[in-house]
This record gives sequence, C-alpha cells and structure tokens, in this order.
Amino acid sequence: MQQLTAETFDQNARAALNDPVLHGALRNLADNFVTRRQNAIASVDDWEGLREKARAIKEETLLHLDEYLSQFVENAEKAGAKIHWARDGKEACQIVIDLVKNRDARMVVKAKSMAGEEIHLNEALERSGIEPVETDLGEWIIQLAGETPSHIVVPAIHKTKEQIADIFVEKVGIEKTDNVDVLTKTTRRILRERFAEAEVGISGVNFGVAETGTILILENEGNIRLTTSLTKTHIAVMGIEKVIPKFADLDVFLKLLPRSGTGQRLTAYQSLITGVKKNAADAGPEDVHIVLMDNGRSRMLGHPVTRQSLACIRCGACLNACPVYQQVGGHAYGSVYPGPIGAVITPQLIGISKAKQLPYASSLCGACKEVCPVKIDIPELLLHLRAEITDGTAGGSANNPERKRRFAESLAFKMYGKAWSGQFSYGLGTKAARIMQKLVVRDGKIGKASGLIAKLLPPLGAWTAWRDAPAVAPRSFREQWKDGLDKQG
Amino acid sequence: MTTAREDIIGSIRRHLAASKPFDAVHREHAGGQAEAVVNTALPAENLADVGTPLDNFGSSASLLGIHFEVAANVREAAALVESVINRIGAKDIAISDSELVAESIETIETVEFTRDASTEFLFGSDLGITSAQWAIAETGTLVLEAESENHRLISLVPPVHLCLLEASKIRQTLGEVLTLTQGNLGHAMTFVTGASRTSDIELTLAIGVHGPGELHVIVLADR
Repeated sequence: MQQLTAETFDQNARAALNDPVLHGALRNLADNFVTRRQNAIASVDDWEGLREKARAIKEETLLHLDEYLSQFVENAEKAGAKIHWARDGKEACQIVIDLVKNRDARMVVKAKSMAGEEIHLNEALERSGIEPVETDLGEWIIQLAGETPSHIVVPAIHKTKEQIADIFVEKVGIEKTDNVDVLTKTTRRILRERFAEAEVGISGVNFGVAETGTILILENEGNIRLTTSLTKTHIAVMGIEKVIPKFADLDVFLKLLPRSGTGQRLTAYQSLITGVKKNAADAGPEDVHIVLMDNGRSRMLGHPVTRQSLACIRCGACLNACPVYQQVGGHAYGSVYPGPIGAVITPQLIGISKAKQLPYASSLCGACKEVCPVKIDIPELLLHLRAEITDGTAGGSANNPERKRRFAESLAFKMYGKAWSGQFSYGLGTKAARIMQKLVVRDGKIGKASGLIAKLLPPLGAWTAWRDAPAVAPRSFREQWKDGLDKQG
Repeated sequence: MTTAREDIIGSIRRHLAASKPFDAVHREHAGGQAEAVVNTALPAENLADVGTPLDNFGSSASLLGIHFEVAANVREAAALVESVINRIGAKDIAISDSELVAESIETIETVEFTRDASTEFLFGSDLGITSAQWAIAETGTLVLEAESENHRLISLVPPVHLCLLEASKIRQTLGEVLTLTQGNLGHAMTFVTGASRTSDIELTLAIGVHGPGELHVIVLADR
C-alpha cells in the first residue's frame, strides 16, 4: 500500500470519503467507544475536577521539565535502569539498534508504541538486519498487511474482519474464518513461538514518575507484560514529555486514561517497572534501558499554546469524537498521529511547511476539547497553527497562490466585519445582498451549483465549493419586528 | 561537542524562557488560572458507606468476568482450588513460592505442582497459582509485587491464572494502594484487572489473547 503524506490531506480525505468499506469500519468507533466512554466517566464523582487536576499536573511538569526529567533520570538510574538520550528519531533508532546488536539478537518482540511508530523504528531495525515482531494484535495485523496504524489505541480500526481474515489466510496460512476468537487464538499461538525465542523486548512508556524513577505501561492483551518480563533486555522508548512528578499522580491519570481511551475503569494490566531486578534468580530482564527522546518536543515548550500539545496522554478520545476523523479515518492524516491531536502535533513534529493542510482538517466544532482528559484546547492550537501559516512564518513566497487566496479571504472578512458592525451599513448591506443574491440562489441556498458566485465573490466561492451557504432571508428580523411578529412573512 | 543530554536540557530551558513573556498573557486569557497546583492527592471516595472492601471487590470482580469465590479458611480454599483444577482438567500446574499457595495446596494429592518452573514448562502448562500482595476493591484489581513473590510469569504465561488473596489485603481505592506501595517499590509491580482481552478486530471483545483467558480469585476471609 502506498503511504499517504500529511501534505496531501485534502486529496487523501476525498479518497477516504469514497471508501464505503472504511466507513463501515469507522462506524463501529462512534457506536462503541463514544458510548462506552460516556458510561465510564459517569462512574467518577467529579470528572471535571479530575480533568483540572490532570491539566495542572501536566502544566506544572512542563513548566519545569528540565528539573523533573533530571529527577526521573536520577531515580531510575539509582534503581538500576540505564538511561539514553536521543535528540531526534534517528539517534533514538541508532541507540536501540546498538543495544539489540550488543545482545547479538536478530529479532525483537515489540509492544505497541506510538513513539516507536513516530521514529519509524521498525524500518530502521529492518535496515540493520533485525526483524521487529509486533505483538499487539492490531499492530501485528497492520504489520502483516504492510500498513501503518490508523488509530492511536486501535491501530487496525480501518479494517473489517473479512479483510483481516484475508490477511491471515495469505500471511499465516490458516483457513478463512470470520470468527474473531479463532483469529485471536491463532495470533496467540504464532506469537507465543516468537516470544519464546526473543531476547530483546521493545516497548513505549505511558508515564515516567520523577519521584521514583518508575515507568508505567498500560495494556489489555498481555503482550506488553510478555515483552517486558520474558526477555533478557527491555528497551523502553519514552518521549521526554511522559514524565510526571509524583507516584500519587498516577491515581489521577489511571482514572482518566482508560476511561477516555477504551471506556474501561482500568485496562487489564499495568506494568510498573522501577529499574532492574536485584536478584538474578527472579523473573524479568537482566537489563532495562530507557531511551529519552526529544524529536521536536522541546521546541513546543516555546509558547503556552503549543506547549499544551505535550500534555497529551494518547488516549485517542479526540479521534473518536471528531466528525472529520469519523468520516476520513486515520490514514488520511498521512502521519503516525491522526485525528485532532495529530492535526496539531504532526505539523509541529515534522515542520509546518510539510503539513500545511492539517490545521485546516477541522471544523473547529470543539468536540475534541470537550472530551480531552487533560483539557488540551485543540481548537486554540489549530487556530494558532493556522495563524502561523497565514503570517507566512511557515515559509512560502509572497507570490504563492495559497497566500494570495488567504490574503483575499482575510481582506474580505475585514470588510464584512466593518459593514456588519454598524446598524445603518448592516441594513444597507443586507438589502443589497438580497437583491444581488437573486443571481445565485437556488432552492433558498447559495450552493456550489451557482458557479457565478466564485467569480463574483472569491471567499464565498471557496466557502461554497464544498457546502451551501444560507441565502439572506427575504425580510429581516428587524423588518418583521416592526410589522409585528404575528404577521409572518 | 555537547552531549545529547546537555542539548536536550538546554533546548528545554531555552524554549521555556522564550515562552515566559507569553505565559502571563495566555493565563489571563484562559480565565485567569493561577500557576499550576502541585498538590494533587485526590479526596478518598467514601466507599466504606457502600460496602466492605471484600464486598466491593466481589462486585467489581463479577462485573469483569472474574471467577470469584470466598473461602472461610485454608481448608475451604483447598477444596475450591481442587475444583478449579478438576473443572479445567489441569495437569501441568505451576505454583509460585508464596506461603499462602503452599498451605492451600498441601492437602491436594490428585495432581502434582511445580515450583520454580522453567519458561519451557510454563509455555506448556495448564494453570498458574499465585497469591497477590494487595487488591483494589473499586476496580477489582490484583496487585502483584515481583520483589515479594515469583509470580511475574506464573500469573501471565499459563492459560488460566488462579490467585489466592487474603481479605485483609483488599483496599477500597487505587489511591490507597499507591500510597501503601510507594515507599517500598520493587523492580516490577503488576496490576491485574480481569483476564487478558482485546478489541482490535472490529472492536469485538475477545478474551485470552496473550495473557490468561481465565482468572480465578479465591479470597480467604479469615486472613
């Protein structure tokens, strides 16, 4: 499958809109996760207070990230973990590859990690002759299919079970079945063999506790536990923003994350790993490595609006709630991080000039902000990034047609603003509009059918290219009020 | 040449400094929130009014599909363990080094139990028996401390996990357990809430994907 890029969101989205199979698969999300989340948050007394707390903890952490990171490192090292620092994805991949090679390992088992996806760790491992085996069911399915995840929590959400069954027939050689239990049991059988031979396990990190040096990883399947306890070396790739100050803070985040992500009170397993075993006879790895990765994150600290992006705990709730994501799915975003949070993180990670369409991939309805467990104001972030693009800080010459169009748009909106802020000019304006619109109104709407509009009023033309604008009413509210409201008309 | 650590910490400080002039304005704009609060302890929910820790653990467990039984004493627990063994027809059984487990299987003579099982044995086994250090009533969670008992793999690899739990180790909330365990954190602590599960195929629930597909909890009421 051809990988989509963030630069072509408009195109990707249009293709996705015409994919009925994808829509069937995505319908599950709204039906399932949205309802389950609502039920789960009802089991918390003060959900709003909890969100406030989480946001305060994250803000406190980010404002002193240098201190909390240093404290985390000190305590993790004291407990026997080895810390590595990576400025970018390339460095992080190289650190992991060197660690795997030190073990003389030719394959590694991997637990689902968005950080790993972000830096394309699998490709880097393969280039070095190391076979990465994904062990999360969804992640394994898309690895077999040669695709990328389309959702932060359920990576294969874009696939129907028929499509998944076909992949199993082709890649694993089983009889075709649409029985989910059979597909699951097959996965268990095959991956058990890989777990038995693996010497190195690679995982991500959900939270790193500064106070104790603990890393915590959540899951439901048990593959993360196998990856981090059956192998001889455990390598955890951790974004520098994953640190939280106190062990007790876990109480807050463990209440928020599963409820927001999958609608569970708690996921089936949490692994809390504090350094390495002291007694050689105990189960568990001989060494634990934590790769602390920046990869564009520290840059986001440079402004209070962009800093919020680092509070994200990767629950996926904003994807499930987003009317755009629900229609186009994750791949259209052309990035590891899809949906509303992806639309704000991707441009900051890969450079806004490479993802200029993403901040516009939203209707600014605010559903994402509403469900975000750490109260990230995603619409504010989207507008901030849009402003960066229109200000030209995002690059591009003054003559580029995109900038010209946006300039015309902003000028037109300024004029509308002036005209509509005075009573007299407003009245005059609507009267004029009523006469003028006779040229373009069809069935009471200014739609794309009226091609003339695009030539007459460029910004309105862009607006009506994909949707209808309501026509101005034949009589204004003021006029109706003057005549008495009972005389409708 | 600077190290990666110096560069990253340097970049963090530089960007935080650059943000300073905007921070106050933004805070005011966002509704005048004061600087972040550090004290984050949650008020303990008063579950005691609703039920005992044991009752609450039981209702959480049944919601999760955990096979939950209460034994009055070790003798009753042994009978319950034996009935689980018979029902699933377990032959290869791995046990942890827990004292409570040893006591509970002492009288069972129909099968053999393997202590210090190898990984190979675990992969072919039918049942793993462990105890738990703590439990959380509000979520139906078992807390396994690897430093206290060698149950890290025995609770994970076999297709069925049976856990013996002393009633006095059940706490009402997650917060209480976090406070209890923080001072003495071992290298690994695992929270187990129900059987292994996945919804990765069309969000259809499937049980037992990588971890145990069945979880049995037997609580000893007298301990």
